[in-house]
Amino acid sequence: MEIDPPASNGNPSAPAGSAAVAAVASAAAAAAPAASKMTQLTESLKLEHQFLRVPFEHYKKSIRANHRVVEKEVSSVISGVGEVADSADVSRDEAVDRLSSLVSRLQGLKRKLEEESRTEHLQAQRCRARLDHLESADSENLSDWNNTRLKRILVDYMLRMSYYDTAVKLAETSNIQDLVDLDVFQEAKRVIDALQNKEVGPALAWCAENKARLKKSKSVFEFQLRLQEFIELVRAENYTRAIAYARKYLAPWGATHMKEVQRVMATLAFKSSTECATYKVLFEPKQWELLVDLFKQEFCRLYGMTVEPLLNIYLQAGLSALKTPYCYEDDCSKEDPLSQESFRKLAMPLPYSKQHHSKLVCYITKELMDTENPPLVLPNGYVYSTKALEEMAKQNDGKITCPRSGLVCNYTDLVKAYIS
Amino acid sequence: MEVSTIRDGFDRVVKKQKLSNSKSQEVIDHVGCEIRDALAKFHSVEDQAFNQKSILSDLKNKLNACGPHSMLEGVQKELNANIGKYMKLLEKYFNPDISKAYRNVDFDFHTVNKILVGHFYRQGLFEIGDCLVNEARNPEATELRSHFWEMHHIVEALRAKDIDPALKWVLAKREKLAVCGSNLELKLHRLQFMEILQRGTRVDALNYARTCLAPLASQKLDEFQKLMACLLWQDRLDSSPYAELTDPTHWAKFTKELTQQFCSLLGQPYESPLTVAVAAGSEGLPTLLKLANVMAAKKTEWQAMKHLPVPVELGKEFQFHSIFVCPVSRDQASEENPPMLLPCGHVLCKQSIMKLSKSSTRTFKCPYCPAEAAVTQCRQLYF
Ligand SMILES: [Zn+2]
Repeated sequence: MEIDPPASNGNPSAPAGSAAVAAVASAAAAAAPAASKMTQLTESLKLEHQFLRVPFEHYKKSIRANHRVVEKEVSSVISGVGEVADSADVSRDEAVDRLSSLVSRLQGLKRKLEEESRTEHLQAQRCRARLDHLESADSENLSDWNNTRLKRILVDYMLRMSYYDTAVKLAETSNIQDLVDLDVFQEAKRVIDALQNKEVGPALAWCAENKARLKKSKSVFEFQLRLQEFIELVRAENYTRAIAYARKYLAPWGATHMKEVQRVMATLAFKSSTECATYKVLFEPKQWELLVDLFKQEFCRLYGMTVEPLLNIYLQAGLSALKTPYCYEDDCSKEDPLSQESFRKLAMPLPYSKQHHSKLVCYITKELMDTENPPLVLPNGYVYSTKALEEMAKQNDGKITCPRSGLVCNYTDLVKAYIS
Repeated sequence: MEVSTIRDGFDRVVKKQKLSNSKSQEVIDHVGCEIRDALAKFHSVEDQAFNQKSILSDLKNKLNACGPHSMLEGVQKELNANIGKYMKLLEKYFNPDISKAYRNVDFDFHTVNKILVGHFYRQGLFEIGDCLVNEARNPEATELRSHFWEMHHIVEALRAKDIDPALKWVLAKREKLAVCGSNLELKLHRLQFMEILQRGTRVDALNYARTCLAPLASQKLDEFQKLMACLLWQDRLDSSPYAELTDPTHWAKFTKELTQQFCSLLGQPYESPLTVAVAAGSEGLPTLLKLANVMAAKKTEWQAMKHLPVPVELGKEFQFHSIFVCPVSRDQASEENPPMLLPCGHVLCKQSIMKLSKSSTRTFKCPYCPAEAAVTQCRQLYF
């Protein structure tokens, strides 16, 4: 904040160098608050990458899957024709039958493609709804827009934590289904539910579906699934099958992950009741939870989401920016989130914010004391805002009572403080 | 935000996707047509000597010649190029990874869940709060729930201009409200009185004033007299000196004041702390992300900082504490180094004053004006 020096003091001498820079900065910050609100909005919109990226990834996925289906089906129809043509002893009726079945196969493909293009259309619309929503943010509806953002962030959190019912309820009551990724997470839910039931099938299917991209990001998720399946065979003392399984599914990873392969192979010599720490841990049920966590990470990465829930990122940033040593004092204002025990707990490992300029809040009105509402000093050194003291003087015939020390004085005894 | 540029990029993807779909349909139709043509030949030629072999190999050659793959390839390539461009566009205009500002510290989800449940109850979303308690196996917050339930019950009733639940609460909290100097009771009766005056009869209004307003008259005599004078203007309040009292926004203002008092007596803030913290986060994140990038370049340990190295400017709605930064030393004031008022009205930290006065041995010139000061003239300030 910047408060002009008293006029009676004549020409102020040049302040120290660093102070001059700071003064320039603070003057710039104070200028045109409306413009700065808009800059702030633009800056906060830049945080919305995931908001546009996730539905687009979903759309892209459908596009790619459809391409694959068309290519596969058309080429298998064509090779079907080739087979008929190339076989020497096909009867006329048989040839007709086989060609007709290829025609109906194409009709089926056409129907499927029409259906899929409706899905693609809906997904494209969702991408558009998000663009519209970003564009709709302006200074007039900012508080509504921010409320919706909070709800989006909360739905995101609940989806990642697998609180699906709450996520769906909140999205529906707030009418923001198009602005959250319920359907994307349905896909994750199938895999997670299965892993929690100690089934790897859906997870492996998911790996196959996304093989190229997982390989590109050097994902080890599939390897971990295979290791776990192997361990389950050992647990069931089904050693022959375990060895066959290892040959087929673990050996291909040997080149890159020899150590891990050797370690699980060694379990063949122990039982699942082993007390040896190196191997015991492999049999713990916690391994399945780790697989769920690993899957969630891979899943988020694939869709271009942050690995952490958005809520955690926003909350951490907010709490860091709000955290001051004063927050932990007994008389911390109730309106400060850090007056609440739960928020204090979350903020504990976070750094304190840093201030370059004084920011004074009136003890009485909780308003900022600035040029419009300058600070006034009581004879005992307690400071309150002009607005608060003027009001108090008006109500009490010019008398001021200090709410913290009980001192009574006249409004005329007050002096102005100049804070730079 | 250049949403229109991004939208154009997206439209190009959609256009190519549609083109690619119709191309696929075309290829399927084409292959289908060829096969059907061949089948037609099978049916039309009755002659025993018709050449099955040549029809089939004709068909095979035709299908291989048209090359469905090369037909699809071009349009798919274009589509993929546009998809790639759009992804680049998103990366350019948005911050592709906001988790760079995240510290990998213990962020206890039980605590977060507890905060969320409290938030939902406060917002009146009781069903959602209950659902979360259930799904996250959170401990129930029965007490908080019932308090906020009462608050929302009161607010809903006030919206329908029913003052009873509010009155019941105000009477139950009469003593506590008196301590904070609140006159909610009088304000509530005033609202009801004005309502009767506008919708009911003068007799009803007078009766109401006698039973409900009169006992409170001593609290604010001038207010009471004003209300009684309204009786004279009953049919034409709008053109009376008291027209302001009929302003319908008084209900909304009263509801806000009551909610504030309600939260304050609960020891709860008026604004949802979650809303405040997340809003502060969205204001602070852009700065923190810039910082995280700089720190990564300098290889400084982001996790180990006790203090953020740069200020994160937040709007004034987020200022809850007085922070004094000495304009000379740039240090934040503390108990050991408190802010001091110079006789000229400028404020510096104690340590800066000691330096300027060479350990209080001589008078010094204020760095911000020509006034001279002695240490003994400086007073400690309490913000
Ligand atoms: Zn001075």
